[in-house]
Amino acid sequence: MTKTQPDPAPAGGEGPDGSGGPDGTGAVSRARRILPVLGSLQAYIGLILIVAIGVITKGDIFLNQTNLTNAVGAFATRGILAVGVTLVILAAGIDLSVGSLMGFASMSAAIMVAHHDMPVWLIVPACMLIGAGFGLANGIGTAWLKIQSFVMTLAMMSIARGLDRKMSDNESVGTLVAGPDGELTENSESFQKLGTPDNNVLEGILGPDGIYFPVLAFLMVCVVFHLLLSRTTFGRHIYAVGGNPTAARLSGINVTFVIIAVFTLSGMLAGFAGPIDAAYSVSADPQAGYTYELDAIAAAVIGGASLAGGKGTIIGTFVGALILTLLDNVLGLNAVDDNWQLVIKGSIVVLAVVLQRPDLLQSIKNGIDRLRGGRSRTGPGRTPSKARVPGPASAPASEETPR
Amino acid sequence: MSSSTRTLRRALSAATAVLAATALAAGCASKTEEGDGGEKGAGDEFVIGYSQANNAEPYRAQLNKQLEHYVKDHPDLKLLPIADAQQDNAQQVSQIQQFVQQKVDILIVSPNEPAPVTPAVEQACAAGIPVIILDRTVDTECYTSFIGGDNYEIGKKAGEAVARELPDGGNVAELRGLLSTEPQKQRHDGFMEAIAANPDIKVVEEREGKWLQPEGTKIMQQWLARGTDIDLVYAHNDPMAIGAQQAAKAAGKDEIKFIGIDGLAIPDGGIRAVQQERMAYTYLYPTGAEEAAQTAADIAAGEKVEKKQTLGTVEITKDNAEDVYAKYDMSGKVD
Repeated sequence: MTKTQPDPAPAGGEGPDGSGGPDGTGAVSRARRILPVLGSLQAYIGLILIVAIGVITKGDIFLNQTNLTNAVGAFATRGILAVGVTLVILAAGIDLSVGSLMGFASMSAAIMVAHHDMPVWLIVPACMLIGAGFGLANGIGTAWLKIQSFVMTLAMMSIARGLDRKMSDNESVGTLVAGPDGELTENSESFQKLGTPDNNVLEGILGPDGIYFPVLAFLMVCVVFHLLLSRTTFGRHIYAVGGNPTAARLSGINVTFVIIAVFTLSGMLAGFAGPIDAAYSVSADPQAGYTYELDAIAAAVIGGASLAGGKGTIIGTFVGALILTLLDNVLGLNAVDDNWQLVIKGSIVVLAVVLQRPDLLQSIKNGIDRLRGGRSRTGPGRTPSKARVPGPASAPASEETPR
Repeated sequence: MSSSTRTLRRALSAATAVLAATALAAGCASKTEEGDGGEKGAGDEFVIGYSQANNAEPYRAQLNKQLEHYVKDHPDLKLLPIADAQQDNAQQVSQIQQFVQQKVDILIVSPNEPAPVTPAVEQACAAGIPVIILDRTVDTECYTSFIGGDNYEIGKKAGEAVARELPDGGNVAELRGLLSTEPQKQRHDGFMEAIAANPDIKVVEEREGKWLQPEGTKIMQQWLARGTDIDLVYAHNDPMAIGAQQAAKAAGKDEIKFIGIDGLAIPDGGIRAVQQERMAYTYLYPTGAEEAAQTAADIAAGEKVEKKQTLGTVEITKDNAEDVYAKYDMSGKVD
């Protein structure tokens, strides 16, 4: 229904790849087309910093493929949640329920495989459907009942956790199920492929050893939703709604639909993460996913998403997720004291966000100017040189810094 | 618009008044009914109120089920629906106060944290209600009986098992519970004391696994990536041990042994993991439910009860796993 509407300019928001013009041919145009997607190198400085620390302190142990697979695999479910949360944040909402929704889906998946002996190809879509159902309720509450998304999803966090606990009777449910012959059942065996350590998929197709499914799933989700945001009308509508809902409505976008859709997609992704979580732990814990929503939101925000809406990318969220998990990995490999780990993690996240801010140099300059300007008022004889006076180009940057 | 709001407000306040009146009447009624609760006849029921710190931990869910089961053995006891504080001190305080208001005959409390819950427990004592403290301590001595496991002793037993498993010494890795919790400290201290007997047993790695299974997996993967030579992993609970075992199995390190604590009799618990040889040992952390029900019955009968009841543990190996499981398996015993 929204497809027929003319595309509005991303009102007030920042499009995922605004440039990428048709000019030029061959390698140059290809580079031009790819570069805006990847953005400037500075956006990755936090990640580069952490990888550098990892390589310097642990070298091959850190860069080892198994280690990197383990590190990304441990965070994959939270990464998938982060992609969903990014969609909601782009539409100027927030989704606090994803951790609980993942927990509910994780428990559902474990019960399906352990008590009902269901095949994995049925479990995954079923869990996605369950998650989408909860997400739809979030969307309806936010868009139709006009409940602030913070409150709506906070309530859903409690509802889903309560149902999870009721359903499981507060007992964890194992996914390793032995048949009458003492061997694992066929469905339990294939369920492990979703993320039990040492189970890979696509052996022979993606290299001789295949690939660890949580890593593959996270990458796939990132690619699909990056394309959704950057290549479809619906993606542009999300940015428009988050940037300025009134302008979006006036330009003919069905804002209600967009909001309901992003919450449903976020719920669906949480539902997708559920079975992976159950397979990773070879069981579903009634508390699974507890506080995962915070990690997911952190990954999105570290990746440059603005909680005010309309600003952010999936690539940014992907980088944010890598920063969080590789930092944890580097600290673990170096056997840093657990108490200090908390302090260091917090500090490096702040540092990474500051360093990768696009207007970093400008705001440093402005800060120096302000200092000099202050001094010039008290101490006569010192006037700021003309070059250091913030010009019109730097005005928006200085506006943004107080955030 | 404004007139309709006024009508609505009036209707609401009327409804509130009716509700309040009903509540008051009900309160008076129950007071008159229980007014002579002091002297009970032989045939009367003794009402037990139980405030649980957090139903969502599998150990506590198991405790609840066992308590419901064992209370049924005493026909004169009646357990009210268990109040779940959901890890919230304020909620637990108000729950205890509600039980005091209801004039329960016996109060059982599993404190979420000692200090915040203490004043409410003292209120119950002051109201003349016998209090049984289950599992975690409070900062007052007014209770009738304390029942709890001995985490230090469990840690020590685990350490002694390590000394048996590694007679010529070896490398041990320790997955610790949430560092700020009391059981974590005691399970660590007891363990360290026991392994000190053999200086060739070295703790080569230790990390905070926060009691969580996925953390156990992740940390074990990091230890193996570091290239640490590990003979045995001691985890402060079963889920962390099982998580770590999963990582070791994936890395092909099948010779590493795992020890956990809890020994829950549920299909996904530590006893089953020992039976399946995923863990070498687990140590039963007793729930105290059976003892609590017995103590409540003794109080009801007017008998003297012990002020402090420290519960022992059971070392669970492949040999006794089936028996221990059968004893504590609550499936089918409570509805």
